[in-house]
Amino acid sequence: MSDDDTPQNENAQNENARNGTPQNEVPANGTPTSGETPVGEKQELTGRQRLAAGLWPPRVSRAQLIVAVLLFVLGLGLAIQVRSTSDNSALRGARQEDLVRILDELDDRTQRLEDEKTRLGTQRSELETSSDQAEEARKQTQEKERQLGILAGTVAAEGPGITLTISDGAGAVESDMLLDAIQELRAAGAEAIQVNDVRVVADSYFSGGDGSIEIDGTKVAAPYVFKVIGKPEDLEPALNIPGGVVQTLEKEQATASVARSQKIVVDALRPAKRPDYAQSSSQ
Amino acid sequence: MIAVLGLIVGVVVGLFVRPEVPAVVEPYLPIAVVAALDAVFGGLRAMLDGIFVDKVFVVSFLSNVVVAALIVFLGDKLGVGAQLSTGVVVVLGIRIFSNAAAIRRHVFRA
Repeated sequence: MSDDDTPQNENAQNENARNGTPQNEVPANGTPTSGETPVGEKQELTGRQRLAAGLWPPRVSRAQLIVAVLLFVLGLGLAIQVRSTSDNSALRGARQEDLVRILDELDDRTQRLEDEKTRLGTQRSELETSSDQAEEARKQTQEKERQLGILAGTVAAEGPGITLTISDGAGAVESDMLLDAIQELRAAGAEAIQVNDVRVVADSYFSGGDGSIEIDGTKVAAPYVFKVIGKPEDLEPALNIPGGVVQTLEKEQATASVARSQKIVVDALRPAKRPDYAQSSSQ
Repeated sequence: MIAVLGLIVGVVVGLFVRPEVPAVVEPYLPIAVVAALDAVFGGLRAMLDGIFVDKVFVVSFLSNVVVAALIVFLGDKLGVGAQLSTGVVVVLGIRIFSNAAAIRRHVFRA
């Protein structure tokens, strides 16, 4: 109280000094003007003093309480608003029309993304289909390559067939006799033929004679073992028919024997040769 | 003094208790806060001028808040909510500045 009063009193003194009336005279005089003097003093208070007076001695008055309640509300609202604004969610303080706009944009975006998803899904299924087709084509190509490889002698083959063994004690077997045997076998449906270690294919040739026979430039010696894949029931009679290969060989002092088998392995190979001049005319 | 304490307590409570604001009030809260600030500055100036009356302060505080919220509400209904709230903030800001200038003259005598 006293801290507060001091400046007030000083001020009052100043005012009184200015008015030319000493402060301590006022109560002493008891004049009617003295009643007005305090009122005049209060009106002459500077804003700073009023602020100090309001701040420091904490008085519980109706005005202070009401203002306190209202300021409490203000502080509450301020804090809530600051907190919600800094709540990192930009949507909290957004206005309704902004929210509607944001929602619209999100809808558009969702729509676009859905469209893109559909498009990509279609593309994916297309790619899967085409890769299935490519896989199928590749399988067919491999199958065909295997079949052609058997014909060309570049891959081994196995299956039912016969084994024809020609032993030539007298050295009477000549290349044309072997060629006849090959022709006969082919006519009977032989699919893969191997003589000793030489694969016999479309462009195989026989040369030499009198015990030194060459097939495709490779010398083969007696006994000549033919491994033939084909239908045994067709191949064996083809060789054994009267006047056929077996009889002709026996006439020449050679012996020929034919044995059926359910599993003949033709594993002699020929290197794949790229034709120098002939080209496929398809495509 | 008690009034200042009330303000401080309000801020602290608002920061730490995190009261949930009803969604209906939420868009008007910022404008209401600015309007209340205007009323508080006006009250401070009146106090420094020595013409402070608590009843006037209470009425001006509440009416400021209500009118500001009403203007924003009306603006929202009319589709010019953003512009109107900008206008309200500008007007209140000008008033706050002029009050602050009067307060400054009192406090710093300059």
